[in-house]
Amino acid sequence: MASPLLSVRDLTTVIRTEGIEFEVVRGVSFDMYPNEILGLVGESGCGKTMTALSVMGLIPSPAARIAGGEVRFGDRDLVSLPEREMREVRGDDISMIFQDPLTSLDPMFSIGHLLTEVIRRHRSVSRPEAEAMALQALAEVELPDPETRMSQYPHQLSGGMRQRVMIAMALMLDPDILIADEPTTALDVTVQAQILDRLLGQQRRRGMSMLLITHDLGVVAAVADRVAVMYSGEIVEQAPVGQLFSDPQHPYTQGLLRAVPQTRHQRGALHTIPGRVPPPQFVPPGCPFSPRCSQALVRCWEEHPELVPDDGRHLRCFNPRPLTPA
Amino acid sequence: MRYLASRTVYMLVILAISSVAVFYAIRLSGGDATAARLPASATEADRETLREVLGLNDPIYQQYFTYMGRLLSGDLGNSLTNNALISKMVVEHGRNSIILGAAAFLLVFLVGVPLGMLASVRRNTLADQGIMSLSVAGMAVPNFWLALLSIWLFASVLRWLPSAGCCEPRQLILPAIVLAAEGTALTVRMTRSAMLENLDSDWVRTLRAGGLSESRVIGKHVFRNALIPIISLAGLRIGQIVGYALIVEVIFGWPGLGQVLVNAVLRRDYPVAQFFSLVLVVMVVLGNWLADLGYLAANPRLRKT
Ligand SMILES: Nc1ncnc2c1ncn2[C@@H]1O[C@H](COP(=O)(O)OP(=O)(O)OP(=O)(O)O)[C@@H](O)[C@H]1O
Ligand SMILES: [Mg+2]
Repeated sequence: MASPLLSVRDLTTVIRTEGIEFEVVRGVSFDMYPNEILGLVGESGCGKTMTALSVMGLIPSPAARIAGGEVRFGDRDLVSLPEREMREVRGDDISMIFQDPLTSLDPMFSIGHLLTEVIRRHRSVSRPEAEAMALQALAEVELPDPETRMSQYPHQLSGGMRQRVMIAMALMLDPDILIADEPTTALDVTVQAQILDRLLGQQRRRGMSMLLITHDLGVVAAVADRVAVMYSGEIVEQAPVGQLFSDPQHPYTQGLLRAVPQTRHQRGALHTIPGRVPPPQFVPPGCPFSPRCSQALVRCWEEHPELVPDDGRHLRCFNPRPLTPA
Repeated sequence: MRYLASRTVYMLVILAISSVAVFYAIRLSGGDATAARLPASATEADRETLREVLGLNDPIYQQYFTYMGRLLSGDLGNSLTNNALISKMVVEHGRNSIILGAAAFLLVFLVGVPLGMLASVRRNTLADQGIMSLSVAGMAVPNFWLALLSIWLFASVLRWLPSAGCCEPRQLILPAIVLAAEGTALTVRMTRSAMLENLDSDWVRTLRAGGLSESRVIGKHVFRNALIPIISLAGLRIGQIVGYALIVEVIFGWPGLGQVLVNAVLRRDYPVAQFFSLVLVVMVVLGNWLADLGYLAANPRLRKT
């Protein structure tokens, strides 16, 4: 395989609230390759957004800080990169799309103003040139009537249109890497498919590397090349998409798959995983999933499993068992 | 445009209602208007004749319409105490008041907004705590007390500034600061909380993700959003300044509308009291209307449909 564009190693991010400090991202490692989509899935609160923000250097300060690990991008480590240089990377080499398009655009400025401001931040082009670039980017995400939209304000656009603007903003400088954090969750179901389609079209056309964060395993199965499953701040299983869906090994992954309606794993009633993700302040010792795991051993309660590579797959489990059709 | 029209209609209605209220308040406040004009030795018969001449025996609503009719034809009448033309008094004292009020208004925003921004950017540091303590003090200390304190300190003890008078710049400093104190304190708090609220919004993250610098994100975008509530409360600040001008002008011997009004009320010089009250009301209402216009102009969500 080609060398990775971005290599995340043992990334650990802590948040401090009311005097106590806890880890929300715990030793996360993954690689991103050109022209590839890595899906990142997991229940709400497991640290997907925090992982993405840590890579971008956008974790909320001063509440959060990166306590360890590396984010290798080319010959640089983004974690230790000075903020001034990191700003050059953001929006230009690595872009991010956020979950809620309704609140993600500054309401006081026109779409054209916002887009050209970012362009001119990274490229020394004249205002008309920047406007032409922005217009082009809006046209590429198939925003209807882009000339008019340029002079409109965010409140004049629908949620779907605003998300197209966000995508255009993220793509207009041709980044190497795009992080999309639940890019369609907040949108109408009918619009979701269109937006996802635009996003994938652009990803393929540009040969971009994409980190797709989502709750929707159906989407992941359809578009991702590899999938990482996160639980309680850790990656518990990572594998090529076919392998993960046909032969999930981690009991948590198996639980997630069983909870998806209309998959071949489903027999009878919709399955749910009992219990909830532990809040990061109260992660149990041993395997964090052990309290909810149906096949936990005594060892799982006492010892913390490592992420072990095995034939293209990475697994963090002492007692994996093949999925048995229930 | 609907917004603009409705604010304008609202302003006119408030003006009409307040003119009635001012008129009735002065008529009903008791006291004898003839005392202002006639010597203490005047007989009751003389007084009665004067009341008749001035129309004071007519029903109040009738007096109101007579008065408004004269006003609209440009006849403001004369002072009862020295027979001065009210139109001349308004121009002369109005100028002084506007100088003082404008100075205070500028202070409120040119000091309050930057301090509020500084406090928000340096949140929870010593600078923030210092600024916020000052602003608590600014809100808690009553105006007249601050006036006396500042006269004592800067005029009597330090002898840096004159204690009273008009209309040199040096004489403007103390009254303007006292007049601006509470509004500045409120503006500091408002600016700080508006900045912090906007700093937390999702779009700030988008701009950062686009690689914009913190100074750009905060100085341009967050500030631009925080400006909306600041402008929307500028009208209140104007009202506050006009109201406090009564006290501050009297204490500092600044011959503005407020000082004349207070004297006129004390002397039952009702034509002066009446008109000067109306002028102050008009200033407040007009100030609010201008603030509404500013709010409209600053807010793209209201500008277009
Ligand atoms: N600003 C913050 N202060 C305190 N805790 C936070 C903050 N932001 C996130 N957290 C905590 O960090 C953990 C990880 O949050 P994160 O947003 O990364 O989860 P997520 O996997 O993206 O969830 P979702 O699917 O709901 O978006 C959560 O337990 C959350 O409560
Ligand atoms: Mg999230």
